[in-house]
Amino acid sequence: MGITQSFGDMVAVRDVAGKYISKLGEKNDKVVVVNADLSGTSRNKGFVEEFPDRSFNVGIAEQNLVSFSAGLAHEGFMPYAFTMAPFISMRACEQCRTDVAYGHLNVRLIGNYAGYSSGVSGATHCALEDCAIMGSMARMTVLEPGDPYQICKMLEATLTWDGPVYIRSGIEAIKPIYPEEYDYQIGKAIIAREGSDGAFICSGIVVQFALEAAERLEKETGAKIRVIDMHTIKPIDEMAVIEAAKTGRVIAAQDHNIIGGLGYYAAAVIAKSGLATQFKILGCPDHFVPIATAPYLFKVNEYDTDGLVKNMKEMLKK
Amino acid sequence: MQSKPLGKMDPEARKKLIARLEKAALKIRKNLLTLCSQQVIHIGGDLSVADVMTVLWQYQIKYDPQNPKDETRDRFILSKGHAAAVTSFNQAAIGCYRDEDIFKEYAGDNGRFAMHSCNLINPHVEVSTGSLGHGLPVAAGVAQGLKLKGNTTSRVYVVMGDGEQSEGSMWEAILNSVHYKLGNLVGIVYCNKLGFDGTLQQITALGDIADKYRVFGWNVVEVDGHDIAAMVEAFDHLPPADFDKPTVLICHTVKGHGVDFMENQVKWHAGRLSPENRDEAIRQLEAAYQEKWGEA
Repeated sequence: MGITQSFGDMVAVRDVAGKYISKLGEKNDKVVVVNADLSGTSRNKGFVEEFPDRSFNVGIAEQNLVSFSAGLAHEGFMPYAFTMAPFISMRACEQCRTDVAYGHLNVRLIGNYAGYSSGVSGATHCALEDCAIMGSMARMTVLEPGDPYQICKMLEATLTWDGPVYIRSGIEAIKPIYPEEYDYQIGKAIIAREGSDGAFICSGIVVQFALEAAERLEKETGAKIRVIDMHTIKPIDEMAVIEAAKTGRVIAAQDHNIIGGLGYYAAAVIAKSGLATQFKILGCPDHFVPIATAPYLFKVNEYDTDGLVKNMKEMLKK
Repeated sequence: MQSKPLGKMDPEARKKLIARLEKAALKIRKNLLTLCSQQVIHIGGDLSVADVMTVLWQYQIKYDPQNPKDETRDRFILSKGHAAAVTSFNQAAIGCYRDEDIFKEYAGDNGRFAMHSCNLINPHVEVSTGSLGHGLPVAAGVAQGLKLKGNTTSRVYVVMGDGEQSEGSMWEAILNSVHYKLGNLVGIVYCNKLGFDGTLQQITALGDIADKYRVFGWNVVEVDGHDIAAMVEAFDHLPPADFDKPTVLICHTVKGHGVDFMENQVKWHAGRLSPENRDEAIRQLEAAYQEKWGEA
């Protein structure tokens, strides 16, 4: 994938994404990067140095970040607009919807600091609503990588994807989980671990928690739990959800408000399918947290490894 | 592609040009009033920008109705999205559609024309607009895109209202367009000094809008938005598209211009005319035209 990596090292998605965007710039001269005074945070200064003519910084002006990107897309460019997920999804919400989605433009909106990942910065810097907001915009594709290097495949896929894309990611360093080359397609879930006694449907950092949880569950109970890396929140891979429902035990977990997050997208598929299954959604509860670290928040809300084990064990009892 | 005469026009040709545009603007107004007796339209704003839009579309802009995607075209973005009817009639005047199409399809199911224009169904709409405060920021991106492609001749015209200047997103773009030296960007603010809730002075006073743009670093031109000759002059003297500053034309206008019971009336921001009121309005416009130019 062109990024020097030593497998097993923890790395943050934004570090990988920031470097990989330069590769995209080399491959396609229509790729431009637009920042709103957070190129450092978004780790794309390499692109800015390498392609100064194709880099724009609108200042702390997220509405303009998105509208300016839309304008560039109207002229045939493929803008990658980087900032924090709460700002791009909320401050620039109407620009994403009216200037980008309504025009079905090839703008790629890249939001880091998704979920509780910026917990200690407080609720202003956490995006707990972005999947609900962005996903409700017509034909907006919503992605969240479950592996730090998956972002390269995602970004690569956006070069030929028709229409607007939103990519969210937390800022924590996470463990690479795919050691070998694999096929990646937007809209096609990845089975990160096989199993038929139950399933975790998850995205982002929760994928690695779910893998650890599945391993522990097998050791402790013998149950084989499937882990589905649902990197495409929208359009969700309905078949993967239906197959998960057939196991009879489904936990959908995401670092996002439970309302409107991955669990809701999965729930709609299950309800439509008519399949009977135990089902639980884990995520951020419907209240704001002033200040706390991300690991603490994952723990109290039970979508860290321990929490996933506990909740699946309860299902296994039934 | 309609093209402007090059170089200095002789006085006789100029007089003819102004007469042609005056007549064209009268026709636009009559069409608007007729449409307004069929549908609710934003007639107040439409009438206030009718002259500006006529000069822009029927004299200034470089646009081929047969080839709306021509790379060398000028781009037009209606930031004040609800001035859609006056735009559509002007586009019809240069051959994008027929007036009848607008009367027939306006605000109908799957029609190409409505209160706000949409590029998904109308190829002559560059950018879909409606929500205020979006057109200028998008136009800045378009202008930058043209520069990046090496297009040094196309301009991006963006028509804004004065009430719309209250949107914070406008000021992000006003700042940014200077930073990126978008000389191909031409803002046109038509100032009729009325909002929906009253005068801007009563709502949130705008102050001297020309001064504000000037202080931000724009090339500012002020003109009477109902003086067609003055607007032709202003457009003729625009700096070249590769200039190092964006330009804004501040056009002073009157909401509901030309119809005595509509002029400066907040209640005529949007509305529908009775047949009697429509006929009376058209009578007034024709009388004023005849007084100035002879037979309409």
